[in-house]
Amino acid sequence: MTEEALPALLIAVPILGATLPLALGLVRQRIGWWVATLVLAVEAAMASWIAYAVYIGGDRITHILGGETFGRKEVTVGSFDTEGFIVGIELVADALSGLLVALIAFVSLGVLAYARRAGPRQNTFYSAYLLLTGGLMGLVLTGDLFNMFVFLEIVGLMTYALVASDRSAASAVAALKYLVIGTTGASMYLVGVGYLFVRTGTLNMVDTSRVLAGEPEWLEVTGALYTEPLVVASFGFIAVGLATKTAIFPLHTWQPGAYSEAPDSVTVLISALVSTTSAYALARITWVVFTPEFFAVNVKATEAILVLAALSVVIGSVLAAMQQRVKRVFAYSSVAQFGLIAMAIGISVHPAATDTATRFAVYGVVIHLIGHAVIKGGLFATVGAIKKSTGARSIDEYAGLATERPVLSGTLAVLGFSLIGVPPMIGFVGKWYIGLAAVKAELWPLVFVIFASTLLTLLYVARLLEKLYFTPLSETTDTAQEPAVATDGRGSVSFGMVALAVTAAVLAVGLGFMGAELTDAIDPLVDAIQESSPEVHQ
Amino acid sequence: MTEAVVTDIRPLAAVLVSAVSVVLIVASHRYPNIRESWSILAALTKFGLIASMVPGVLDGTEYEASLGEFVYGIEFALKADALGMIFALLASFLWIFTAFYAAGYMRGLDEGNQTRFFAAFAASLSAAVGIAFARNLLTIFVFYELLSVATYPLVAHDGSKEARVAGRKYLAYTFFGGGLLVLGGTALVFAMAGTTEFGATATHLADSNAALARAAFGLLAAGFGVKAALMPVHSWLPDAMVAPTPVSGLLHAVAVVKSGVFGIARLVLEVYEPQLVGDLGVGIVLAIVAAITLTVASIIALRADRLKRRLAYSTISQLSYIVLGLGLVGPAAVAGAGLENVIKGGLLHIPAHAFMKLTLFFCAGIIHVETHTDYISEMDGIGKRMPLTMTAFGIAAAGMAGIPLVAGFVSKWFILIGAVQASQSAFAVVLLISGVLNIAYFWPIVYGAFFESYDSADSKPLVEGPLGGHSPKQAATDGGSEQDPGGDAESHDTHVEEGHHGGPGDGGWDRVGWTGDEGSWLMLGPILLIAAGAVVLGIVPDAAVFLQLIEDVAQGVMA
Repeated sequence: MTEEALPALLIAVPILGATLPLALGLVRQRIGWWVATLVLAVEAAMASWIAYAVYIGGDRITHILGGETFGRKEVTVGSFDTEGFIVGIELVADALSGLLVALIAFVSLGVLAYARRAGPRQNTFYSAYLLLTGGLMGLVLTGDLFNMFVFLEIVGLMTYALVASDRSAASAVAALKYLVIGTTGASMYLVGVGYLFVRTGTLNMVDTSRVLAGEPEWLEVTGALYTEPLVVASFGFIAVGLATKTAIFPLHTWQPGAYSEAPDSVTVLISALVSTTSAYALARITWVVFTPEFFAVNVKATEAILVLAALSVVIGSVLAAMQQRVKRVFAYSSVAQFGLIAMAIGISVHPAATDTATRFAVYGVVIHLIGHAVIKGGLFATVGAIKKSTGARSIDEYAGLATERPVLSGTLAVLGFSLIGVPPMIGFVGKWYIGLAAVKAELWPLVFVIFASTLLTLLYVARLLEKLYFTPLSETTDTAQEPAVATDGRGSVSFGMVALAVTAAVLAVGLGFMGAELTDAIDPLVDAIQESSPEVHQ
Repeated sequence: MTEAVVTDIRPLAAVLVSAVSVVLIVASHRYPNIRESWSILAALTKFGLIASMVPGVLDGTEYEASLGEFVYGIEFALKADALGMIFALLASFLWIFTAFYAAGYMRGLDEGNQTRFFAAFAASLSAAVGIAFARNLLTIFVFYELLSVATYPLVAHDGSKEARVAGRKYLAYTFFGGGLLVLGGTALVFAMAGTTEFGATATHLADSNAALARAAFGLLAAGFGVKAALMPVHSWLPDAMVAPTPVSGLLHAVAVVKSGVFGIARLVLEVYEPQLVGDLGVGIVLAIVAAITLTVASIIALRADRLKRRLAYSTISQLSYIVLGLGLVGPAAVAGAGLENVIKGGLLHIPAHAFMKLTLFFCAGIIHVETHTDYISEMDGIGKRMPLTMTAFGIAAAGMAGIPLVAGFVSKWFILIGAVQASQSAFAVVLLISGVLNIAYFWPIVYGAFFESYDSADSKPLVEGPLGGHSPKQAATDGGSEQDPGGDAESHDTHVEEGHHGGPGDGGWDRVGWTGDEGSWLMLGPILLIAAGAVVLGIVPDAAVFLQLIEDVAQGVMA
């Protein structure tokens, strides 16, 4: 067996595995966790393998579903044969998707250690969990625009289910809100893809990109299609759809509710992965389907992204600082952080961006995507563990907890400072590249927003840390700890829960020193974008 | 002089040694004696490591340690050169005494959270030495930010409302300076020069757009200026005095504030280099800001009644001497005269001020521990109760005012000469005025301590009287929020109401002999040793290693 089967297996294994908890549940109760752990351990092994093949081996691994009958077809133009479209769904593991595959595999495995004690424990939960993982894998591996919509929907549906999985009224409302807005977003995306298909006749990303550039000789196209209204509109729909899923202001309204009402384990998982993969999708389509050449003639599209992203950074941070519940603070913080990422996507294709600016912006996108996933996942894990062990949910209830929970408080401090962008942690590295890209592109208002975002993040992180460490234990905390919690919930933090939080903190620091390795890994992607090439070759 | 660059682990080890001690300190939180001995051991090891590089550095060797590429095109690298050595040697040397003093102080007051305190203290020293040895702008920024993070728990240590507000302000100011200004400036320099390595950027910057080069200089100078407490971004420093006194002493008179000054030194001497600083006309701006700061801060100090607050304003003023010296580098380079003197004066004031101000703070601390007196108006006659302390205080205060035979004189003299040589005599006048103001705010303390008694002290119109004939309330509203003397008076009142027993109590101060019965030797010893150091620096500046290092720096810059 060669690596070529891996992309398909990475998607198929968790989806097929999702049936097992239900089936085995007939025999034994609460077997879901074991099944999920087994399946995701296999998944992590395969993800490591594919990451090794992509980054060390330098391959671009593609897999076309459906076997021999599908694949790239020949067409006859006049008297000679030439390459036609790919028929069927192509899966691609390259320098961009490889990192995300590894991230998804390891985060979803790690969160299981957390969920073991934190629950929920029904078998159905673990079926949904595995389906979500499969959907996320598909989303990052697919090389087909319509197929991406399918996975977007799988991810969406499973997230709705998981958010509501503790069956409380509040989470049901949050899930419903997410369902309505999320499905609208996905539909927008589908409309955009439909427009593209109408104009280009293909759904494969590489082929779409080539047709847009006017490359294939056998198509009777007179040059690039970038200025055609249908193509421009399709980018608009796709961008709005994916921005909704990523929770960019003003399309973020589903997100704080979903994050804060979901069970803690689910919050960790979706905060680390769901918006991340949607942002990845936006980046991928921007870079390899539309390519910088599209944005060179459609400057307005870039500017719209940049304005919304900047607003997202500022408003997200301010809203975060205004929240009382800690989970909501960090939920709004994600709006701001994904604003930064969207901004970097915009800068990377901005006509003012030089080659170096594009390079730094791409570095910024990928590193901040990964860094944010680690930091935010770790923060929600910490917050969940603190809630479980002390009952504290609001900032006021955090007063003086540092003496009671030194390890979790320390974790929160490290991750918080990493989120602010204190060097040498990973949060800094991403921000540095994004800021540097804006400087290189000489987009001064953005430079200001990016560097000022440090202070905006400080607003809410410092508030929390001050409560934790320097505010004496208040009366409110004592009353908040109801007897029921004290006997059942309090003090029942498992090793796995703390370990996940601490691991995230260690990674946040450790990855900061891996900046050079990460950028080396992304370099092929940078080259591809700079050449507006639809394929990322090593 | 043999010019050589050697790869050596010692700069890195010097940074890491106190970082490792943080772990040990936290681990031994149950055993205070072992915990404090880790601090002292780390201080000694750190100083030993740094001192062992001094002979080599004096011979022109530079010790380098690199952790490899940190971000694209920039290494995470350390380098022990003459300039960095000044700051590193100073911080690590004074940490030894502070480690003892802090143990005595924290125990004397029975403070809470001592483990966190000592751990954060050690971490701060790591960051400070990292700043000293950073080889490029990004590395210095890394440690600059870490220093902000590590010192925050020390400022907010007390956990009281006042301490939390001060901590909040501290974080806001330092992150504004670091994360926004310094980082922005670093990014600009990197974008223009393609490198941030010290000593390698000036030629590229000279070829760049002059407006952008000025903007980058402004961002970096302002960013470092926040920690150097240049006006108008100084007001975190008086508020940070709410921290325990060893923190005010070593960090807010030496390590933290000097990291800002040191950053400006690197910026002026190695990132832009004197000629470019002069050509761009940014040096003179820096000098003007410094001149305003040093005058205004001295005037505000006149009215501060709380001793630590007066010392803080004195620090703001004295730091600006250094910045003034560095700012004058620009005009001096253009004029072609006085360059060596302003560099020497500015840099020599770094150790000079450190020795003197640390003495003063330690005196304030021991007075607080022994007598719970914080206000100058309650200190009349305290020379009877604390003779050795107040003698040390008097010596250090004399140095601050620039009286010969104490450290402060030499450095001020160099700046003065340099300013005249560079045809910037206006700054020489400012320096002289500030000397008078220094005497005006220190002499009453010394005079009151030794020549007055608590019952029959003269009135102190400057401190107690209303400003310019207003009623105190109006003075408070007029005085602005940051530097308001009225606010000082208010907090004084609440202080008394809280029932702290400041002042001597009934019957005046007890008389204590000159044999050291006035307080714990853990605190008294360091005070006397550091005061002696200040005198040594003043009488035989050539014997102390600092001046040699500074001459190396000056020669390197001139070459």
